[in-house]
Amino acid sequence: MRAIAVGRFVLFALFALLVLVTPTHVSAEPSPAFVVIVNPQNPYLALDRSFVADAFLKKVTRWPNGDVIKPVDLPPRSRTRARFSEQVLKRSIAAVKSYWNQMIFSGRDVPPPELSTEEEVVKYVLTHAGAVGYVSGDARLGDAKIVTIR
Amino acid sequence: MSSRRSRIAAWSSLVIGGLLASPARAADIEVPGTERAVEVHGFVSPGFIVTTGNNYLAKSKRGSFEFSEVGINFTVQLTDRLRTGVQLFARDLGPQGNYSPKADWYYLDYRFEDWFGIRAGRVKIPFGLYNDTSDIDAARVPVLLPQSIYPLYNRDLLLAQTGVELYGRVRTRSLGALEYRLYGGTIFLDVATQSTVPPQGLTNLEFPFVAGERLMWETPIEGLRAGGSLQALRLDASFDLPNIGPVGASLQGALWVGSIEYALHDLLLAAEYSRWIFRLDSSNHAIAPPSRVIHERAYVMASYRINDWFHPGAYYSVLYPDVENRSGRAAQQHDVAGTLRFDINHHWLVKLEGHFMSGTAGLTPDLNDGVPLDRLERNWGVFLVKTTAHF
Repeated sequence: MRAIAVGRFVLFALFALLVLVTPTHVSAEPSPAFVVIVNPQNPYLALDRSFVADAFLKKVTRWPNGDVIKPVDLPPRSRTRARFSEQVLKRSIAAVKSYWNQMIFSGRDVPPPELSTEEEVVKYVLTHAGAVGYVSGDARLGDAKIVTIR
Repeated sequence: MSSRRSRIAAWSSLVIGGLLASPARAADIEVPGTERAVEVHGFVSPGFIVTTGNNYLAKSKRGSFEFSEVGINFTVQLTDRLRTGVQLFARDLGPQGNYSPKADWYYLDYRFEDWFGIRAGRVKIPFGLYNDTSDIDAARVPVLLPQSIYPLYNRDLLLAQTGVELYGRVRTRSLGALEYRLYGGTIFLDVATQSTVPPQGLTNLEFPFVAGERLMWETPIEGLRAGGSLQALRLDASFDLPNIGPVGASLQGALWVGSIEYALHDLLLAAEYSRWIFRLDSSNHAIAPPSRVIHERAYVMASYRINDWFHPGAYYSVLYPDVENRSGRAAQQHDVAGTLRFDINHHWLVKLEGHFMSGTAGLTPDLNDGVPLDRLERNWGVFLVKTTAHF
């Protein structure tokens, strides 16, 4: 009998300890600075960072399955674009602008379209099969699919 | 003079119109009945140059505004693989250009795959890191790219060729990416816009061919690329000289440059080393004996973007027009340059630049009252102000 009482006390003490060390409310995971999104028909779930960088600089123009890649950008003053640019393209927005000036005025290529808002980016991705874009982590995505960047 | 003014006014209104029409992005013209649009981009880039000691690029000792470019281009993606475009360009660089408009480039570009595409038309020549973008002020920090390898005087000679280019890029999983460009064609040179004094008795000038390649390796180290470029060309000229009669001359050139660049986040480091080998032959060896000369050209450059609006940079550039004769002021030119670039916004920038020059190899007697290079000032300075608006 005494052993059972001791056992109950230990269980109670462990439960009390668990209650004490557990935060009174569980905070949600912070939203990521940006997420890369594709059309829901796009079969890929994860992409190499270098592939995404090449796609946004138009060094590659086709998905591995042969579909045309249609990258879409946010405006230069967007903080989401700044983070995407530094983390994925490894360049500041100004450096990317210089790159595109070189391409534009030497006749090599033209930059991806720049849309004004994240809602427009999501809409573009949903209406273009090969599209790839990025938006902030708390943006409304509709049916757009998030891909993991490796 | 009024014709020159009207050309400036026409160009300015065209490009400024584009800037006003769409300040935030390229001015797109929708193609009716399709999703496609003609993308329109342009720039206006006026500048001022003043030098001490010698005239350079223009009559610059007294200060000159003849240091300006303007351009506008139109590009349309016709299909997923086919694109076409044209750029109209005009400049005023001392005695050259005088705002005469010309088709700077025009092409049809068919990209079969990322590893193989074809461009045909008048296309920029890839030579070194920056030759094909050397007249795009907004795309770099310095006003003058290192003149040892990217001489402004030779812009019409080395910037574009009319012919075909094959290009492509292959990325591997562990060795980075390899980009190649192969080209061949000819160059159309307008003698009238090349210099103040056309060579005496010149009756004909043509390039039978120009051909070359650029191979660039994007290494697995993020931002580091290295490569090499080769170019071969031939220039034939005909003269009708007083008391001598017709004389033909042929210049064959072989140019190569090794390049390395590290560009990551806001830092840029670049270095290039080049040799240009020229052989001259003529039908009259008494007037122009056969000769061979090798130029040596090199630079190192660095820039760092401090913040959104301030981007300083510096370089050292050296030129020896004859590697077998490096003594004397006319046989060399050392150039130490510093630039401050201020980006007012995403479409407008201002640059201030200073150069300390030692040697006169990059100068011309034409701009210096016919004084030979070995009698011009050994040490001299260049100060430049340039502002560029682009969309």
